[in-house]
Amino acid sequence: MSLHEATTPAFRANARAALDNANLQAALRGSRGNFITKRARAREDLPEFDALRDRARDIKDHVLAHLDLYLEAYEAQVIASGGHVHWAETAEEARAIVLDLCRQAGAKAVNKGKTMISEECGINDFLAENGIAPVETDLGEYIIQLRGEVPSHIIAPAVHVTVPEIEAAFRKAHTHLDPDRDLSDLAALQAEARGVLREKYFQAEVGITGANMLIAETGHSVIVTNEGNGDLTQSLPRMHIVMASLEKIVPTLEDAATILRILGRSATGQEMSVYTTFSRGPRRPGDPDGPEEYHVVLLDNGRSNMLATPFQDMLRCIRCGACMNHCPVYQAVGGHAYGWVYPGPMGAVLTPSLIGVEQGGQLPNASSFCGRCEEVCPVRIPLPGMMRSWREREFEKRLTPAAMRRGLGLWAFAARRPRLYRIAARLGAGLLSRLGSKTGRIASLPFARGWTGERDLPAPQRGGTFMDRWKAARR
Amino acid sequence: MSARARILDRIRAAAAPGDRQATVAAWMAAPGGGPLPHQATSHGAQRLTQFMQKLDAAAATVGRVSALAELPKALAHELRKRKLPARIRFGDDPVFAGLDWGTIGTSRGPGRIEEPATLSRAEFGLAETGTLVLASGPDNPVTLTFLGETHFVLLREADLCGGFEDFWTAWRERGLDPRTLNMVTGPSRSADVGQVLQLGAHGPVALHVFLLS
Repeated sequence: MSLHEATTPAFRANARAALDNANLQAALRGSRGNFITKRARAREDLPEFDALRDRARDIKDHVLAHLDLYLEAYEAQVIASGGHVHWAETAEEARAIVLDLCRQAGAKAVNKGKTMISEECGINDFLAENGIAPVETDLGEYIIQLRGEVPSHIIAPAVHVTVPEIEAAFRKAHTHLDPDRDLSDLAALQAEARGVLREKYFQAEVGITGANMLIAETGHSVIVTNEGNGDLTQSLPRMHIVMASLEKIVPTLEDAATILRILGRSATGQEMSVYTTFSRGPRRPGDPDGPEEYHVVLLDNGRSNMLATPFQDMLRCIRCGACMNHCPVYQAVGGHAYGWVYPGPMGAVLTPSLIGVEQGGQLPNASSFCGRCEEVCPVRIPLPGMMRSWREREFEKRLTPAAMRRGLGLWAFAARRPRLYRIAARLGAGLLSRLGSKTGRIASLPFARGWTGERDLPAPQRGGTFMDRWKAARR
Repeated sequence: MSARARILDRIRAAAAPGDRQATVAAWMAAPGGGPLPHQATSHGAQRLTQFMQKLDAAAATVGRVSALAELPKALAHELRKRKLPARIRFGDDPVFAGLDWGTIGTSRGPGRIEEPATLSRAEFGLAETGTLVLASGPDNPVTLTFLGETHFVLLREADLCGGFEDFWTAWRERGLDPRTLNMVTGPSRSADVGQVLQLGAHGPVALHVFLLS
């Protein structure tokens, strides 16, 4: 099975396995809270942060309403700068375009900066099947490539890997190095990866990067990184291929600045990431470095079908990862349980849009609807509301399990009959409060073992239901 | 029908009616319009102070140079202090070519696989975030920014901007069209090993700025 094939329908089993995985839980414990604290501090330090979020939302909405025009303007600028634009409707088309370009460049090895679009297209497996070696150069991506995994987080792809696991992966892969070398500290691990990858930068014929933004005014593609790997990836080989999805367009350089002001702060709490690079076309005459060819692969893969639907707002996403950093479900099970490219709340909304509710319909159920994702989203995407819409569609399409459908059906029947609902609520609350009268808690309850198997159910207060007390208080 | 035409058709089918061309033209004709953060509006001495503070926060170091002719001496001092060999690599920038480098061995050209120290000239700086803006080309090859263990950058104080707004205006006025415009904020770093931030991921381990008054 290729790595990018979805295991989304197995979300429940994946989540259970994740909760039982001691290494994963240790890694998640180690990172939990870091991102949250840093983002909160960055927000406090910038009084205009929330106003910038509003502006970023408006920019993205404006782009989505005029996407065809901005794509055409962008394309014209890329061509004017000597670059090429390739349009791909599907992941398959994008793969074929990339392979064709790699063959034109005579590539044996292809270096890759971090790109989620290439994950969406399953580029690595496809290139490998066709005799071209893909090399991930982002440190986290490199670690998981050695382990035969996919990213578990969109900006911290190896967040699920513990330090001893990294050491084991390096020892297994870097057999040309002294087997007795000391890798006991983090600096030694980072230095080893730096040394190994430094050589690979000079070997590849093609470098593939993603794009955080595409600028219609100038034809720039923009990457935002901290490591510098994306820049070496695009500057040393003879061909640079940018893989980007349609909605990455922003109109002007000033609009790009607005997005940059919220992107780093939302992602890692940085005012600016270390490297923000605007690339336009191939190397200029006389340039001693930079690629001789510059290609952009524009991927649709279902996005144009999201326009003018309840899920259009999802296309505002700038891939900062704040929603997953703040999500109690993601923080409990990690990213792999979600089973496809995009985890966490943004993945729960985007995945059913891109691969279908039949495949991805379980993910919107992985939410407690606490609302933190929407609260921190830099472009104010109403994630919980959209998850609710997906749940409704899943129910309408009869994809929800039978027991859940019956339960929801029963509840809906009662909820539409207020008198019946109140009688049932009164009976239920009375019974439960008697059951838990001594301790205020119920340790075991038939039909609710999913809850009481792990924890006690709080018994309802005495003194009647909410409606009873409301009426009594008004009297 | 091409993939391009099919994609654009789907987008147009979903679009609301109205003069969309005019809306786009108006937006492009008046770039900006977003909230202006206070930290992007510094001036004069305060701008300089803020820039230096932001460089420090980004784990970069900075020193001031009173005249261009003083640069080789300042660089020699930094190389000694960092226990680096007395060697530097830079591009064909005429600003560097005209200087007497004394005891420092110089080489010209793009970055190489192992290079203890490289020198570039930044076009602009942003006090808003302590960011340097470099333009790739024969004068300042882009790989020098990423392949030096320690990267030294010369910036004229006159090229220091408050923030993105005045920077983009100045950038357009200068009329450059490099293959890459590189914004650099501190030395490279990663937290991918054990979620602990470490400097020197793939790019430089250290970044030092010479501010020329």
